[in-house]
Amino acid sequence: MPITADHAGRRYPPTPPYEVSAAKIAEFARALGDDNPAYTGEQPIAPPTFVAVISSAAWESMFDDPELGLALRRIVHGDQRFTYRRPLRAGDTVHATLTIDRVRNRGASDIISSSVEVETLAGELVCTAEATFFHAHEGDA
Amino acid sequence: MASLEIVAVGDRLPGLSVRFTRETLVRYAGASTDFNPIHYSSFYADQVGLPGVIAHGMLTMGSALRLVTDWIGDPARVRSYFVRFTKPVVVPDDADGTEVVFGGVVEAVDDALVTIAIEAVSHELKVLGAARAVVDLAE
Repeated sequence: MPITADHAGRRYPPTPPYEVSAAKIAEFARALGDDNPAYTGEQPIAPPTFVAVISSAAWESMFDDPELGLALRRIVHGDQRFTYRRPLRAGDTVHATLTIDRVRNRGASDIISSSVEVETLAGELVCTAEATFFHAHEGDA
Repeated sequence: MASLEIVAVGDRLPGLSVRFTRETLVRYAGASTDFNPIHYSSFYADQVGLPGVIAHGMLTMGSALRLVTDWIGDPARVRSYFVRFTKPVVVPDDADGTEVVFGGVVEAVDDALVTIAIEAVSHELKVLGAARAVVDLAE
């Protein structure tokens, strides 16, 4: 069954807890070629777009939802907004909860608006990640 | 480094140029855990009608923000960040890869909140649209 406007409002359970590590921050900063000293040392913070690492687990809960009929290789990221309360820090343990906000079907593709809330296990909101994805229908690409 | 006393609307940030190769994409795939095959496999990129293997949008987005965090120094001051992925950044399987050039200009100053409009250009095409970062330069 394809994704439709009726899936707006669908909310997935929080992703498994994710512990932000200094090693993963260093790996991510290196992948961006970013040597900002804030990302190293004894109390590193994560690069702002590191939130995508945690969001991706939440995005997968939607991409893998059999009721939506989505295929990862036919999904393109349309836009992305991050809103930060504070930076992620090494030692934070967080999880991410995705809500499908809006679905539009346009010809051979679906336009999916979603938001992910990244919170500590204690319930402190750290960041919100809002994304739009374009999903091309099979055979119409 | 940027400070609130000297920042004014219209100020241009120091430019930044990066080069994405297939190695960059593989490294970012591993670091970000985004293993969508259109970012490393010509076979799958062709299958969905892309002109070639493309960079992760998030890699371009993350790289563009360096323009801002290099300027403000402390990345913890970033309050929000938006981009639209307008054109794919095609990354050929060769030694040179693809260059992406970033530029930024101060668009608004509202108390301590400074909005920066970011441009990202690759092969003379704008690859990000409506890109804005808001940073808090309060003491």
